[in-house]
Amino acid sequence: MTTVERPRIVGAGADRVDGPLKVTGAAPYPNDFSLPGMAHAAVVRATIAAGRIARLGTASAESAPGVLAVLTHLNAPRLGTGPESLLRTPPPPLQDDRILYYGQYVAVVVADTPERAVAAARRVEVGYDRAEPLLDLDDPRAERVADPWGSDASWGDPAAGLARADVVVDAAYTTAENTNNPLGLFTTLAAWDGDLLTVHDSTQWPTQVRAALARMFGVPEEGVRVLAPYVGGGFGAGLRVWPHVVLAVMAARQARRPVKLELTRPEMFTGIGHRPATAQRVRLGATRDGRLTAIEHESLSSLAIEGDNIEPCASVSTAAYACPNVSAKDRQVRLNIPWTSSMRAPGEAQGNFALESAMDELSYALGLDPLELRLRNYAEVHPRSGLPWSSKALRACYEVGADRFGWARRDPDPGSMREGDWLVGYGLAGVSYFWYQAPCRARVTVRRDGTVYVRSAVTDIGTGTYTVMTQLSAELLGLEPGRVTFGLGDTGMPPGPQAGGSGLTAALGNAVHAACRNLLGAFLDLAGADPVSPLAGCLPGDVTVTDGRIHRAGEPWRGDSYTAILAAHGLDELSADGDSVPRPAEESGMAPAGPFGARFVEVRVDPELGLLRVARVVSVIDGGLILNEKLAASQIIGGTVGGIGMALYEETVTDPGTGRIANPTLGDYLVPVNADIPDLDVTFVGAPDAYNPVGVKGVGEIGLVGMAAAIANAVFHATGRRIRSVPITIDTLL
Amino acid sequence: MTTLTVNGRDYPLDLDDARLTLLDALRDRLGLTGTKKGCDQGACGACTVIADGRRILSCLTLAAQCDGRAITTIEGLGSGDRLHPVQEAFVRHDAFQCGYCTSGQIMSAVCLLAEGRAGSDADIREFMSGNLCRCGAYPNIVAAIREVARDA
Repeated sequence: MTTVERPRIVGAGADRVDGPLKVTGAAPYPNDFSLPGMAHAAVVRATIAAGRIARLGTASAESAPGVLAVLTHLNAPRLGTGPESLLRTPPPPLQDDRILYYGQYVAVVVADTPERAVAAARRVEVGYDRAEPLLDLDDPRAERVADPWGSDASWGDPAAGLARADVVVDAAYTTAENTNNPLGLFTTLAAWDGDLLTVHDSTQWPTQVRAALARMFGVPEEGVRVLAPYVGGGFGAGLRVWPHVVLAVMAARQARRPVKLELTRPEMFTGIGHRPATAQRVRLGATRDGRLTAIEHESLSSLAIEGDNIEPCASVSTAAYACPNVSAKDRQVRLNIPWTSSMRAPGEAQGNFALESAMDELSYALGLDPLELRLRNYAEVHPRSGLPWSSKALRACYEVGADRFGWARRDPDPGSMREGDWLVGYGLAGVSYFWYQAPCRARVTVRRDGTVYVRSAVTDIGTGTYTVMTQLSAELLGLEPGRVTFGLGDTGMPPGPQAGGSGLTAALGNAVHAACRNLLGAFLDLAGADPVSPLAGCLPGDVTVTDGRIHRAGEPWRGDSYTAILAAHGLDELSADGDSVPRPAEESGMAPAGPFGARFVEVRVDPELGLLRVARVVSVIDGGLILNEKLAASQIIGGTVGGIGMALYEETVTDPGTGRIANPTLGDYLVPVNADIPDLDVTFVGAPDAYNPVGVKGVGEIGLVGMAAAIANAVFHATGRRIRSVPITIDTLL
Repeated sequence: MTTLTVNGRDYPLDLDDARLTLLDALRDRLGLTGTKKGCDQGACGACTVIADGRRILSCLTLAAQCDGRAITTIEGLGSGDRLHPVQEAFVRHDAFQCGYCTSGQIMSAVCLLAEGRAGSDADIREFMSGNLCRCGAYPNIVAAIREVARDA
């Protein structure tokens, strides 16, 4: 029992279980909820990037029609701080007069209708004592943070490796700030009942929201309930308890009414994090036959003045290639900008762009096929620890991808391939994504009517968690998926980790696995001890589950159904919890592997007009055991679209004088539209991962990684121009 | 007092605030939350509804402009428990992930098909480009619409 060695349900490309709700508009997102007596909040944001609030005029707003409360730092309650965590909760808003970035909340207005709240918010007058903001990555006055996460690494002698190399590539790369922009406007609806608090929130991590609000408002965690059954996307933006969440809760307490605070699109650019800019330098040394002798990778990325952000970029170079001499250093620089934070594939997105661009440059310097260069330096074991990978099928990714793409048709000379007015370029990139997993708990209940309810306080931000966990539970319990309901997005359920770090499917899948195993044990505690049961004396290792029945392995006639066992013991239902805790790498003797992938891209460039189109993408991914091939492919497709956005369109522009985000709308901040995206070919290869019992690896982020480099490499192949900065804009191609 | 006619039903609406958009009227006053707000600036398409047979952005339309117009929202597609063929195709092709833009995508797709503009993949891509999908389900959206166009 409880293995997925010969899966029946898992793996199948089942439709989303929440599909009918989503196509009928019936799935409730946080801003779809309303409560009786609900009021609405609108925020006022700072119009300077550094300094202090000198004057506040709230009388006009307070006397505006329908206004219930106006909160500023002068009258807001003093709050505690959130819990220490991997992704720290920003300090609570409205606690003092300091301004650290343009767009920081300086007031919140509560009124009886949204229109009146917005109108009154415009009447709040704020005067400032302005200071000179720090806005440039290379501003010498800005504080630099060295090795922020203790992830810097060095082995061998990189300087000597470079010195004895036949060929050296030394290049600088930059990536722009990007903004997550989930389409769902982040919304918090907060309602107090005495010291009990209920919050609907756009979050990827309900248990963290509960912990943070309880600490900040000084109430017990058990009295805080956070709900997020559906979230309109996140891409990392929902990983922190942002100040607007706190404002809504504060406003609801002040107004003594439920309060809904829905961010506007421009507020989504300053209030919920964004991907930092990076400036990176990569030095590669290689022998004439293409063996790496050294990799040196340094990265500098942007950080808010009082922010923190886990974004290792240079670390990418510590896991990608077999190389005896490696050095990776990350630095951050504190600026007067809105918080930088996770955006799909943090660090990997930018670090991979630099490393895989440099590898492409090295291939041309050597006169070696870019694919061959990668295969010659293939890391059969983890390059840093020397341990065998828990799974790795990157070689198959390259081989299958090259075949599907037709890489062999590539003429190696830049500018040599043409179709009409278009220059044609082929480019590729390899991806070795990091491993991440956090503890998780799930609970499974089998009911007398034969239905099963499985749940954990996690979220499904579009990744397919509802669906794949329904499939997995059905598989593990020997049931048809139609009998199983998976619940999530409610802190009343057992605690689960964030939907982030490509780690949820492994964490939750293994918790569900443990819960199902424990539930089978509970059933056998009943039936095994029942002398008249066909399962008398059975232990979990003796049985199999099929068609809603537990039976002796190899003897399907000797068993009993879940419902019959419940009936025989007079029970309405039976439940069990299961925990998954990632095991320490040292114990396993393995290097825990994340997903791997190879990206092959064909671009078309019109050199007269500077037009750049992505014509084809072939992606081959090793994601371990794939729970649902249709939904996993959607993750890769979606990530690829995000990667095309990063490569060609997306740039959050900060006005150099004021620190204002200059393009905070979906009309000005360009994201890919339907016409920008060709059909995308996705294939999965590889085997179940050995590091966790279920064998899954997360595929939520890897689809984005490698696209920027593969596109830039294809642009070089098409045009002979090496673009070392993304997004690649028309002016760089003319 | 004005009357909104939505999905064939008349809703009396007290226009106490002339700033009320059709989108907010649908969501906040009529409780029809299937239509989504993604930008409130006419840039994302999430709020697309059908007015007198044409797709419009309900965030850029004042409720006061809708007296006497026949509005169709996502809640008005399909019949009873039966999904509209576009809704079915979206599920089958996994043409969404988070689902937030989906109502607008489907309303646009329904109009696109009715207008006869789904003749080629290039046309579908072009005419669906007013509806942003940040999850990046575009190829599957094209596949879903292509299938409905072919079967029509």
